[in-house]
Order: sequence, then structure tokens, then C-alpha cells
Amino acid sequence: MGSRLTAMPHMNDLPPDPADDWLESALKAAGEAHRAEYLDDAGFTAKVMGALPAPTALPAWRRPALALLWALLGLCIAFALPGFVVDVVRDILRVVLGQSVSLAGIGAAVVAMIITAWTAAAFVLRDD
Amino acid sequence: MPEPPQSDAELIARVVVRDDRHAFSELVRRHQSAVRTTLRRLTSGNHALADDLAQETFMLAYRNLASFRQEAKFSTWLYRIATNAWLADARKRKEELLGDRDGDVTDDAPVDSGDDAHAGSNVERSASLSMDMARAMAVLSDAERAAIVQCYHNDLSHEEAAQVLNCPVGTVKTHILRAKQKLKSRLAAWARD
Repeated sequence: MGSRLTAMPHMNDLPPDPADDWLESALKAAGEAHRAEYLDDAGFTAKVMGALPAPTALPAWRRPALALLWALLGLCIAFALPGFVVDVVRDILRVVLGQSVSLAGIGAAVVAMIITAWTAAAFVLRDD
Repeated sequence: MPEPPQSDAELIARVVVRDDRHAFSELVRRHQSAVRTTLRRLTSGNHALADDLAQETFMLAYRNLASFRQEAKFSTWLYRIATNAWLADARKRKEELLGDRDGDVTDDAPVDSGDDAHAGSNVERSASLSMDMARAMAVLSDAERAAIVQCYHNDLSHEEAAQVLNCPVGTVKTHILRAKQKLKSRLAAWARD
């Protein structure tokens, strides 16, 4: 069963006194004038931008150096463990293709993978 | 063909993710007028102080943009920063502000609407009331003036104003009520018309 009691309105929620309509109108008019007012930028934005802290840009050499380090790491692994790399690639291809493949086929796949990796690296490291 | 203007949210994302200064300058350009005019009202027409505080507002916005959760409008968030900057400055300058008011608009006598204003056209009368209103606003307390500026000048709801002023909605309503009582007293001559 719902209550028939109605909450007493808060003092501030009471409707405005009609005698104060002139003040309400004056405040609303002042508000409208305020919102219609547009201040010309007049160099304000430039002043704000000039006061911002300098951007913390990464050194220009950092990205190429990182890419070079990753490439060197890959080459080191390939040279240190040539049989391992060939076996891994051969097994992967065997699983993927479901049949044994030739060395030339593996070479083609490796080249394709290198091209893909370089393309991806070039995309990631591109300048915006 | 020119690109369509990006939304505030898109510009904010560019600033946060890539520290895109062009995007931030666009945000400043878009909102500078609203922030500066609001601060001019809050500082009772001190344009130099208002612009200094506006600059501080945008600097703080830049530093804290990553913490902006988009729960409110970006402009409302800026108003909050601006109001906090103004309140902090007002606290520092309290003595100085009181001194300025003594020599400026602190006489407690009600504003006289003046025979000229009454006799003039509606436009003149409106301009005269507007000037008297600006003078009367200067005698409000900081909190009362801030509540009036956010609710009437920036057209925020009481809930939004409460967010900006960082206080309960009931407190905003109380500030507005008290402000209106003071304004009514100061502008009594206009009520007789």
C-alpha cells in the first residue's frame, strides 16, 4: 500500500515569489547576454601554447636503434643455431601444409616472413 | 574539401595518446571565450586577472587531461578547474580584494536605478540594469557569485553547478537563494518599476 503522505518541499524548491519575477528576468537576461558574448582569441591560445612544457620527444635515433637491435638479435640466433632455425621452420611448414617440403620452399617461406616482418616494422615505425 | 570539425572527445584522445599540441590548441581556441568570460564574471570584471586565471585553467587542463573521464561535458570540467583556480586565488588575495571593494562598490546603499534609466528606452533601461546587476554581483560572497555565474550565466543545472563547485546540490540552491536576496536588496529601485 502506498503512502498518501507527500514530502514537504525543501525551502529552496519552493516556486519563486511572483514579486521577484523582475529579478529572475534580469538574471536570465544577464545570462543570455553572457552566453552571447564572444571574446576574440587575440593571441590567447598562442600564449597558452607557448607556456606549455616542452614535449618530451624521444631521441630521433631511438627507434632505428631499437629496430637494429632486434634485427641483430634475430641474425645472431639464426647464425648460432642454423640447424635449429631450419628445423623449426620446416616443422612449422609441415604442420601448416601437412606435407614435407623442400629446402627451396623453406627458403621462399623465410624470405616471405622477412618481407612481412620488415613491412610490419616499417608500418609501426613510420613517422606520423 | 575541408575536414569536418572533430569533437572535443576526439581532440582529447589525440592529446592524451599522442601529446598532439595542435589538437590541444584547437580545444583552447574552442573554449577560451567561455572560460575567459566566466572568469571575468567571477572576478567582477578584472580582465587581466581573469585572463591569467584562464591561462592557468588551460595549463591545469593539459596536465590533467588523462584523468578527464568524460562523465561530464568538457566545458563543465573546464569551469570546475577555472572556479577552483579563482577560489584559490581569491583566498590568497582576500585582503586585497576586500580593500578593492571598499573603494569600489562596497557601499551598502541600494543601487539607484536613476531617473535617466527610467525615462529612457527599453534598450537603455536594460543596459542600465545590466550595469547595476554587474555592480551588485560584486557584493556577493565568492560562493554565492560562483553559484549565480554557473547557473544563470553558464546555464548549468543545479546538479552540474554542484559538480563544478564541488558541493552538494542543496548548498548550491542555498547560495542562489541568498544571492538573490542580496541582489533584490541591492537592486530594490528596479523592483519598484
